[in-house]
Amino acid sequence: MHLLKRILSVIPVVFGVLLLTFLLIHLVPGDPVEVMLGESASLSDSAALREELGLNQPLIVQFGQYLNKLAHGDLGHSIHTKTPISELIQARYPATVKLAFVALCLGLLIGVPMGIYAALHAGHWQDFVITIISVRFSAMPAFWLGPLLMLLFAVWLGWLPVSGMESHASVVLPALTLGFGLSAILTRMTRTSLLEVLNDDFIRTARAKGLSERTVILRHALRAALLPIITIVGLQMGSLLAGTVITETIFSWDGIGRLLVESIEKRDYPVTQACVLIVALSYVLINLVTDILYQVADPRMRHA
Amino acid sequence: MAKTFAISILVFWLIAVLLARLMDVHGNAIDLQHILASPSWQYWFGSDDLGRDILARVLRGAEISFMVAIVVTIINMLIGVTIGLLAGFYGGKLDRLLMQITDVFLAFPGILLAIAFAAVLGPGMLNLVFALCLTGWVSYARLTRGQTKSLRSRQHVQAAESLGATPYRLMSRHILPLLTSLLMVEATYSLASIMIAEASLSFLGLGIQAPNASWGAMLRDGVRYMLVAPHYVLIVGLSLMSLILAINLGGDYLRDKLDVRTA
Repeated sequence: MHLLKRILSVIPVVFGVLLLTFLLIHLVPGDPVEVMLGESASLSDSAALREELGLNQPLIVQFGQYLNKLAHGDLGHSIHTKTPISELIQARYPATVKLAFVALCLGLLIGVPMGIYAALHAGHWQDFVITIISVRFSAMPAFWLGPLLMLLFAVWLGWLPVSGMESHASVVLPALTLGFGLSAILTRMTRTSLLEVLNDDFIRTARAKGLSERTVILRHALRAALLPIITIVGLQMGSLLAGTVITETIFSWDGIGRLLVESIEKRDYPVTQACVLIVALSYVLINLVTDILYQVADPRMRHA
Repeated sequence: MAKTFAISILVFWLIAVLLARLMDVHGNAIDLQHILASPSWQYWFGSDDLGRDILARVLRGAEISFMVAIVVTIINMLIGVTIGLLAGFYGGKLDRLLMQITDVFLAFPGILLAIAFAAVLGPGMLNLVFALCLTGWVSYARLTRGQTKSLRSRQHVQAAESLGATPYRLMSRHILPLLTSLLMVEATYSLASIMIAEASLSFLGLGIQAPNASWGAMLRDGVRYMLVAPHYVLIVGLSLMSLILAINLGGDYLRDKLDVRTA
């Protein structure tokens, strides 16, 4: 029941997202057609575009047409290349998913072990150093961290490619840039929740049974500390997705974020609109899945 | 120790920016003889791709960035607190409607919506402020609403209500004053996040436009010339991070001092 309610709660949010992205093109100051095509555009071109975008209809009719087209999987056409936008998105989306996925994995692979290490050394200097780094540097923006990593690992050390996406190694630097904030937050979260759990009775029992410290930590404590980690990952997916815009731009990674920036530069607003919509809808979906996973992982949450 | 550190960085930036103002340093003078020069006695922070003094531009950028952050924070706070107060105070349908609207804004990840709006509105300071305000109010609204909801049933509010206080008076005199420390801490942190957001937009070419200096645009140029002049991107990035760090430390200090528990 709760699950159904949660799924239904998505409907008004999705409607709002659609409305906001629809209104985007109407916020262009002056005549959007003129802004997009430039002042030198011929009258027939302008008229054709106006017709295609339905701009000469009342706003409410336009919104209806927008929804109708979306329902048929039609995102419109690029103004400049005339390519269907759904094709552009299909071509670019996998790259962004790959980047975000690797970033997520790196965030987990760095953050969780660091958090465990800090928790096991709580109160010692190792814990102190890790906490300082994870607190102070979690807010390091991509446009600063990216160039730093690029300078260090690509330009000075020459270990990894500077940018582009030719080899498998190319994904490392952008993914590190993107996953860094996540790993810092995960470090703090893992440390805190592990420290809370380590004082519980069931851990004492596990130790009293004579289990090795390794088993106690990995099998008993970490499993109980997993829930906050799932939540954090879900919550952080938003900044991860938004972060792809700048990260992809820095590293010339041909994903949806770069498509968005390119479309802005070319004033190809239907493409801009579609990119924003797709990213926002992905985010809504991820949040929904996180919530459901959370309930599956912890039966207590079903009645909360 | 963190407090002294934070204050000294902030004071340092404040003095430097004021000095630059007094000495009328604008950093727009082009010197094609010294393109991308390394730091030297003439150019302490080196020069950029048009031979302009990076130090002067960093200081101008700091001023603009700080101004934008303060203006945006004030507007966000006014909008967010008003919506939060109304939703939390009246509850019911109004609350549901207002929270539904905030949920829609929260459905856009990070600064994506700000990027989209800044893009269609076109470049310019006013549009930049508008784009940053568009999503920034949401956190204040949620924070204020939650607090107002619980304060609403406190005895002192109920007492004032039974004495015939108007809703406006209840909100402004009996609820809002109890939220000030919480809001002050939130505002301090948001100064830092808005400076980062502003730099992100400028980095994408959507914020402050040339020839005005902005940290985001300088970072973008710095990345472009990274191979020949790494000092450019490093200096601008370090400047930005030092200010962000100081503001966040200041927020931590305020939080502990005012005994505010943030989520």
